[in-house]
Amino acid sequence: MTDRERFNATMHYQPVDRCPICDFGFWEETVPEWHKQGLPTEVEWTSTAKIHTDQWFGMDSYAATNSPDVGLNPTFEWKVIEDLDDHEIVQQGDGVRVLRKKYMGSIPHHIGHLLTDRDSWREHYLPRLDPTNPARFPADWEKRVADWKDPNRKVPASAWCGSLFGWLRDWMGLENVVLVPYDDPAWFEEMVTTLADCTIGALTVALETGAQFDSGSMWEDMCYSGGPLLGPDHFKRFLVPHYRRITDLLHKYGIDIVWTDCDGKIDSLLPLWLDAGINCMFPIEVGTWGGDPIAYRKQYGKDLRLIGGFDKHVLQHSKPAILAEIERLVPLVEDGGFIPLPDHRVPPDVPYENYLYYIREVRRIWGQDTNLKPCPALEAATV
Amino acid sequence: MELTQLTEAIKTGNRKAAGLLTQEAIDAGVEPKAILNSLIEGMDDIGARFQKNEVFVPEMLIAARAMKESMVILEPLLVAAGIRPEFTALIGTVQGDLHDIGKNLVAMMWKGANFNVIDLGTNVPPERFVAAAREHNPQIIGLSALLTTTMPSMKSTIDELKAAGLSNAKIVIGGAPITQAFANQIGADAFAPDAASAVEVARKLVGSQSTAVLA
Repeated sequence: MTDRERFNATMHYQPVDRCPICDFGFWEETVPEWHKQGLPTEVEWTSTAKIHTDQWFGMDSYAATNSPDVGLNPTFEWKVIEDLDDHEIVQQGDGVRVLRKKYMGSIPHHIGHLLTDRDSWREHYLPRLDPTNPARFPADWEKRVADWKDPNRKVPASAWCGSLFGWLRDWMGLENVVLVPYDDPAWFEEMVTTLADCTIGALTVALETGAQFDSGSMWEDMCYSGGPLLGPDHFKRFLVPHYRRITDLLHKYGIDIVWTDCDGKIDSLLPLWLDAGINCMFPIEVGTWGGDPIAYRKQYGKDLRLIGGFDKHVLQHSKPAILAEIERLVPLVEDGGFIPLPDHRVPPDVPYENYLYYIREVRRIWGQDTNLKPCPALEAATV
Repeated sequence: MELTQLTEAIKTGNRKAAGLLTQEAIDAGVEPKAILNSLIEGMDDIGARFQKNEVFVPEMLIAARAMKESMVILEPLLVAAGIRPEFTALIGTVQGDLHDIGKNLVAMMWKGANFNVIDLGTNVPPERFVAAAREHNPQIIGLSALLTTTMPSMKSTIDELKAAGLSNAKIVIGGAPITQAFANQIGADAFAPDAASAVEVARKLVGSQSTAVLA
């Protein structure tokens, strides 16, 4: 089977030759750290890598996305505002000023937001969310369309549907954005509607070409370790109708798998997402708050697909612990509708040797040593 | 004058009502500390409902905002009456970690429980915790971390506080990757899984079990 055939069969509970073997990626510091531990320096987790980590570790693809830009266009100029030795203040492409460590992939600290009120929304953000902006459809558009329409395409393609809350949270800051539904609900509604309109407008152009996407995908990150950052009542009132507009569009074009990336404890929002047509959750964080993909399957049945669910913290520990975590997920792998992978990016305190062990065992146990991609990492390994 | 409406205004995050009702209570001659206790009662209710997943971060934030509105009016009277928070808490995100949302929520809830909160900010090195602890003589020191990679900074901070002879202050740690087991391992006095729990934990550590911290 190709990656695409395997993805679609897995997500529709059809027979597969084996489970997809995929990863979430790495902290920026992880691969350089592993270079010190024996990983060849030409292997990197970057688009310009001589050897990409996916190739080195023999990974399958589950979500290639190069669909239209549904976010801010143009983005703000990325620039360093102030250099502070090992830190720097940067204006990001989303207009947010952050204090960040240089040379580190850690989450930056927001120190200033352009989006503060209705006026700043209208001045800085609304004009950048025009779905008809020709810049959303780049010079290689025809090639992209040909790829999306290719019935022999080997990798799954996902229609990127953006974000309805996560982006607003980034643009305003958490402590500001969560007050807007209380203080100015009409404005909050306007912002969410604009984001959904932008996604629907830009995506419709791609879908009308006859593009064959295998899934739709969103990003929200709107939960923390104890629960949601926006209560279910507000979620239902402000977000669900617009998720439904987006999923209705996808369904109209035959896309019936729609996943969202949301860290944190998603329990109280999960039924609302399902009701809105989002039927696959990613990455099911186990280590930070005890998320459990097996429990979710029991609770929601096969309507809910899952990606993730392997406790990445275990990778720092012993090989028996890694093996136990792999084996824990086997029943769900056999059940289908599940692509197991670490529940977030692999941090630098995971020894390279442990990751090699993990790769070897997931290929054996989840992948059943069947039709696997070549894995130069294991061929080169002496451990 | 009944203060139940004021407590309700805090619970629902109605800052306009909170301000008006606070002024009304003052004008009616209600003792400042009784007004303060009614505000704390509202925040306690929000904290308890947060722990039960009945309300979420936004509701905590609007409740705290409403309390702040009241405190702007009430605080001068408390100061004039010589009424001060009984307990002081230091809080900061440990060295190497720039994240502050969790830390801010805990600080907000501690203030809501009438702790005098000294917020040291983010990326706080151990020596700053030590210096601030010497200066403010807190009963509670809160350490926050979001990243697994900065968890070791919690241990070095605790080690330095203890080495400096500041072990009288109770140390509470929290953050997404933090567990009770980790708290035990590094010698923290307590672990708080969320901002509302941090209030309960802090009260327990200082021996104040109820909202009536000023009684």
